[in-house]
Amino acid sequence: MNKVHKNYTAYFLFVVPAMLLYITFYLVPLFNSLQYSVTSWNGITQPVYNGLENFQKALDDEKFWIAFKNNIYFVAFSVFIQVPIIVLVSVLVSGVRRFLDFYKVTVFLPSVLSTAAIAIIWQFIYAPDAGLINQLLREIGLESWAKIWLGDKATATLSILITNAWQWTGFYIVLVLAAIFAISKEMLEAGEMDGAVGWRKAWYLTIPLIRPVIIVVMLLSITGAMKALDIVLIMTKGGPFGSSEVMATYMYKQAYQLGDFGYANAIAIIITIFTAILAGIFHLISKRTKEVEH
Amino acid sequence: MNVSMKRIVPHLVLIPYVIIVLYPLFFIINASFKNNSEISLNPWGLPQSFSFDNYTNALSNSFIGTYFFNSLYISVISTVATILLATAISYAVTRMKFPRLSKLVYSLLLLSLLIPPASLLIPLYLMIKDMGMYNTPLALLIPYTAFGIPLTVFVVAAFLKSIPQELEEAGIMDGLSTYGILGRIIIPLTLPTLVTVFILNFISHWNEYIMANLFLSSDKLRTLPVAVVAFADQYNMNYGALTAAITISIVPVIIIYAVLQKKIIEGVTAGGVKG
Repeated sequence: MNKVHKNYTAYFLFVVPAMLLYITFYLVPLFNSLQYSVTSWNGITQPVYNGLENFQKALDDEKFWIAFKNNIYFVAFSVFIQVPIIVLVSVLVSGVRRFLDFYKVTVFLPSVLSTAAIAIIWQFIYAPDAGLINQLLREIGLESWAKIWLGDKATATLSILITNAWQWTGFYIVLVLAAIFAISKEMLEAGEMDGAVGWRKAWYLTIPLIRPVIIVVMLLSITGAMKALDIVLIMTKGGPFGSSEVMATYMYKQAYQLGDFGYANAIAIIITIFTAILAGIFHLISKRTKEVEH
Repeated sequence: MNVSMKRIVPHLVLIPYVIIVLYPLFFIINASFKNNSEISLNPWGLPQSFSFDNYTNALSNSFIGTYFFNSLYISVISTVATILLATAISYAVTRMKFPRLSKLVYSLLLLSLLIPPASLLIPLYLMIKDMGMYNTPLALLIPYTAFGIPLTVFVVAAFLKSIPQELEEAGIMDGLSTYGILGRIIIPLTLPTLVTVFILNFISHWNEYIMANLFLSSDKLRTLPVAVVAFADQYNMNYGALTAAITISIVPVIIIYAVLQKKIIEGVTAGGVKG
């Protein structure tokens, strides 16, 4: 037993290649990013150490704050709008007997399509003339509501948020559904005996029992919101006038369009720290509420 | 509320939701058979005369076949590499007896959940250039492989933990080595899980856009998502050709999904509920 399970050579052989790739492509870039973030650097000449200047620059940069605010919108939209919809729809689907599989399979479909294709499909849907939404508004006599959805400062970010929700809501519904179906029958029957039916059953029984997965879904959608990059880049390029910029697109532009690699890396570090803080706060809150319940 | 009403109510919410999911896709595919003026004048109806002109246009103006092939081999190779490496390390950390080291390795991997890939993009780009991989297929093959490892390890390791110790002990009695146990006992038992993680990795590599756009510059090396976006920029106002190009890029994925949906959904729930 020992000879086989304590085989040093084999362990080394199994662990090292994967860890080497992991360290090279996660930890080394993270470390590099930290290094570059305290330099002034155009990506070509030698980086020059400049302390916290890049971070100071971000604090004073109005465009960075718009991007930051949009990330907050992304997170808030996910947590306060998307997650309740996810839970509601999941509870509804779980009670359905006919067409259960049909609903499950259909709602999941958008999350297997590429974000690039989805961004373009929705660009088309939001298009000023031939677009689905404006055509629909004209059809029902609300022509005055028609807009250049992605070209209007007031609606660009929201339009992207809706597209993002369209893509991912079904993915999370399937996760929550799996948790609902994993609840033991006895538990539910006992609850029903005590008079928990319909909405009362959902509120007092099902939802508390699937709390862990709701927390996972919230955490995933928070980190997902911080990842948003390709969808914004393709749909609006952060425009009009930077109004739909998120931190990741702003970072991307600083590096590849403006050649300010020092500043771009500082933004990358801010994104990482901000994500970690959000996850940390979230972890604390979910722990605290659990303690209160017990 | 009587019983039949109670059965109907959920459908009243779910049917509109399904329409919101499906209609945009139908709208695009439907438009791809119309000409430009019909797209504006007859947005809702079926095409008056089914025409494949948009498809011949889209196909003749780009190397869609090449892009398709690029996406295919990059996704397949990096997926296979991810699974080989991830299975090996999962076996080592869950079944072999180096508990302290394994714990360290596993917590290092967990750390990846906290790092948004977007924030690694720039150093990664510089690294790819330094290593001379820029604008070669390796620029995607290697990062895709690396980025698939953590999640694959979480799913595979969770499954491996559930395999009873006795099976391996029986293998040892029969004189199997560590590699024999992995190859003859563990891998065959894990095969269904491996198929699942294969599909999950494949879909995520197939759909990846940012790195594919940034780490390759040559037109011939493009992958499908990058090509579709470039096509959209180029054919901005030619809705017919654009909807045809979008359709070409999404229909294969929809077909794969229709065939494998059970496996895909199982995989996501296995990874998500346990993670």
